[in-house]
Amino acid sequence: MPPLDRRTFLHLAGGAGLAAALPSALAAEGGDLAKAKAEGRAVFYANITAVEPVVAAFTAETGVKGEYTRISSSKFVSTVVTEAQAGKLLADVVQAPLPVLELLREKGILAPYRSPAAAGFPDWSRPDDSIQMFGIEYVSYLYNKTQVKDADAPKRYEDLADAKWKNRIVMADPASHASTISWLVGLKEKVFASENDWMTFVKGLAANRPMFVASFGPTPAPIESGEKAIGISMPKYIVTKAPAPLAWGPRGGQPLLGTPRAMAITAKAPHPAAARVFMDFWLSPKAAGMLAKDVGEYVLTPGVFPPIDGIHAAKVLPIRDLDDAEIQKWGAQFKQIFKG
Amino acid sequence: MNDRSARLTYGLIAIVGALTVAPVAMLAFGSFTAGLDAFGHFTLAKYVAAYTDPALLKVLGNTVIFVVGSTLLATVLALVLAYLNTRTDIPGKFLFGVLAIVPMMIPHVLFSVAWALLANPSNGLINRALMDAFALDSAPFDIYSLSGMILVEGLLNMPIAYLIIAPAMASFDVSLEESSRVFGAGTWRTLLRITLPVLRPAILAAFVLGIVRSLASYAVPRVLGMPGRVEVLATYLFEMISVGFAPDYGKAAALGMSALATSIVLIWVYRSLTSEGGRFVTISSRGWRPTVVPLGRMRMPLFALVTLLSFIVIVLPVAVLAYTSFVPYSMVPSMQAFAQMSWRHWTEVFADATSLLALRNSVFLAVVGATVGVVLSIFVAYVIVKLRTRGAALLESLTYLSFSFPGIVIGVGFMWFFVHTPLYATLTALLVGYIATYLPYGVRPLASAFVQVHAHLEESSLVCGASRMTTMRRIIVPLLIPGVVAAWILMATMFLRELTLSVVLSRPGSEVLAVQILGFADDGLWGKLSALGIVMIAISTALVLLASLVGRWFASGAKARLEANA
Repeated sequence: MPPLDRRTFLHLAGGAGLAAALPSALAAEGGDLAKAKAEGRAVFYANITAVEPVVAAFTAETGVKGEYTRISSSKFVSTVVTEAQAGKLLADVVQAPLPVLELLREKGILAPYRSPAAAGFPDWSRPDDSIQMFGIEYVSYLYNKTQVKDADAPKRYEDLADAKWKNRIVMADPASHASTISWLVGLKEKVFASENDWMTFVKGLAANRPMFVASFGPTPAPIESGEKAIGISMPKYIVTKAPAPLAWGPRGGQPLLGTPRAMAITAKAPHPAAARVFMDFWLSPKAAGMLAKDVGEYVLTPGVFPPIDGIHAAKVLPIRDLDDAEIQKWGAQFKQIFKG
Repeated sequence: MNDRSARLTYGLIAIVGALTVAPVAMLAFGSFTAGLDAFGHFTLAKYVAAYTDPALLKVLGNTVIFVVGSTLLATVLALVLAYLNTRTDIPGKFLFGVLAIVPMMIPHVLFSVAWALLANPSNGLINRALMDAFALDSAPFDIYSLSGMILVEGLLNMPIAYLIIAPAMASFDVSLEESSRVFGAGTWRTLLRITLPVLRPAILAAFVLGIVRSLASYAVPRVLGMPGRVEVLATYLFEMISVGFAPDYGKAAALGMSALATSIVLIWVYRSLTSEGGRFVTISSRGWRPTVVPLGRMRMPLFALVTLLSFIVIVLPVAVLAYTSFVPYSMVPSMQAFAQMSWRHWTEVFADATSLLALRNSVFLAVVGATVGVVLSIFVAYVIVKLRTRGAALLESLTYLSFSFPGIVIGVGFMWFFVHTPLYATLTALLVGYIATYLPYGVRPLASAFVQVHAHLEESSLVCGASRMTTMRRIIVPLLIPGVVAAWILMATMFLRELTLSVVLSRPGSEVLAVQILGFADDGLWGKLSALGIVMIAISTALVLLASLVGRWFASGAKARLEANA
């Protein structure tokens, strides 16, 4: 029988939820760390923002320099594929929404790796040998607490269609913003009882003539300043924009939805050992704690939550993976409904 | 055409072509290729898909109104300001000269956001003030509209027009105007029949550049057009490449070819309208002397008007940025807001190692890039205007190639190109890309300045035995100082805030300011964004002042030499 290699061993151990407790895994980690230090650095391409402190903590803890380049979702596939085809992919580790990494995996750009640090994550977070999900880009509605009294605030998604919010909502353009399109489709599949109910909600929301912006980034500012009362946005802004008077909903039991955040090691990583050490660190409780506490991210590490009132009790679900054809189809339909 | 002129022309065509053709060619390949990259099976499907969308017609209509409206506004404002600043005795000239180019130093996204805070219909500061003052029921202004977009884009492009028109205005031979007056023409008639026609090359150059620039502009349509549901070409292209996770840049490039074709047609029209170069010469060897037109009783009213204009269009938005950098989150000014002001965003920005590296890189790219760019532009403008060789028209079109392609797409063209070279992911790639894309910012002010220098000056130098290089160095360049300064300022301030290429080409070690700012924008961190934006404005202002002072020093030396020779 051939000897069990490290990856296979960790794969099996991780699958059994044992890896974190196994000293042999840690020993292998020690070997990787020495190699990683010799390699010198780990290059991280990611669409997630404001993670410089996590990358700096990686450098401080391991002695391997973490280098982070932010690449937006719309340029991610184009950039990575162009570099890979020219044999110049600089990234050791890539992080993006799950559909992006699935496209990269299909092109053979990702390497198999199962990190022992993700042993306690839910099973659905490991769709294959390469990709590991570590969080959910959770979306919901935010409102300005000084403009909207708690009693008047929307309690359920359906309340966003109430005519009293006409011209008082801001959201990313549902004709073009992939995460918003996916979120609307997610509501149909995971929240509303029937397609008719959902369509009534979507049409009601459109009738309230929300103000459109390009992405989630510009959604909190109009809510904070009082230009708009409600935004379809990300609860993480309650952390990053503190002490802005932002609150989130729905708090009555409806789930929050979002696209899974995924990561993987590249097949021809220039620094392969550093890539594994980086991924192990990123998935560790320490890094997850930083992501939750400093960036407001919803992570899959058990027991770790962002410091947002009531979020630990919320049900946060991943949205089904929509491919580009489906996103374009829904985008066109939402364009018709929202822009007529 | 003699051999030396031909060699210079073709040498420059080779250099400029190498800089600008590659990324556009890559995009052209991509537009005819099935799949996501530049090389693959031939197809026309992307053109068919791009040009058969029924919504495109309305988008094009909006685009024409937006582009022409904003460019007209920019050109007219620049003409008025340039005339007052360079030709009249209006007080505070130097201040107005700097204020006229301040909008160029502000990242366009920030300028647009500042205007949204001032004039959004819900609680814009100007709207609230007017509604309170005049007991109005509804907001008088809506910045989220086509007219709002035209206003903001026009203000952003005004400095470009100003920096092309002002040097030409400054070197205007007033004896032409004096002759007109001697023959009984009034001030207005002289302005319309003499001054403006003689300045035609500069005005047209500013107009053409403005059209091309606003056609490729993205920040204003994104920040103001999207909330107002006004779709123009830039936002239409954005939608095309952002729906889904594997965007087809080839399809966007297919549509971008129209913008490119429009620009090339405009350049040819411009060349034919200014083909008789001799008609626009105003600096000859015979008694050139710029003089000042007294404004008389209109001096103070005009001063007040320009001050008010400067306050509304420049001081107010910059003040909004400063305010935003001190409050903890986006807040309407109030006692509560002022009580919560702190240096938090500033200290966080200056404690961020990547922001500091980006600052260093951007200053390097601005200073070195603008210097190299201006040197190249002097030679290109010389060939285009003075030699007018057979290849000059081709050379001029080449300078516009990358520039006129929509900004959202051209960065990808550069990436497709640079990845096949050793320059990929280096600061040098950014330097080369910047110069290639923004060459018109160097060439246009220099070309309009060249137009006004009479051939007699060169001929006299050559007859006296000086070489062409010596003539260029000792005679032409000193007379072009206002144009050189304008070109350097345009390029340096553009490079300092460049985003389009940087966002695609920047990698660890080659981070730049605009990419940092975009990161803050993506996170909605307007406080940090404003703090870093103000740092950028401060550096730009320092560069502008430095360039202006160096220019004045050289110009005074050149004038002394010219007077000594006369």
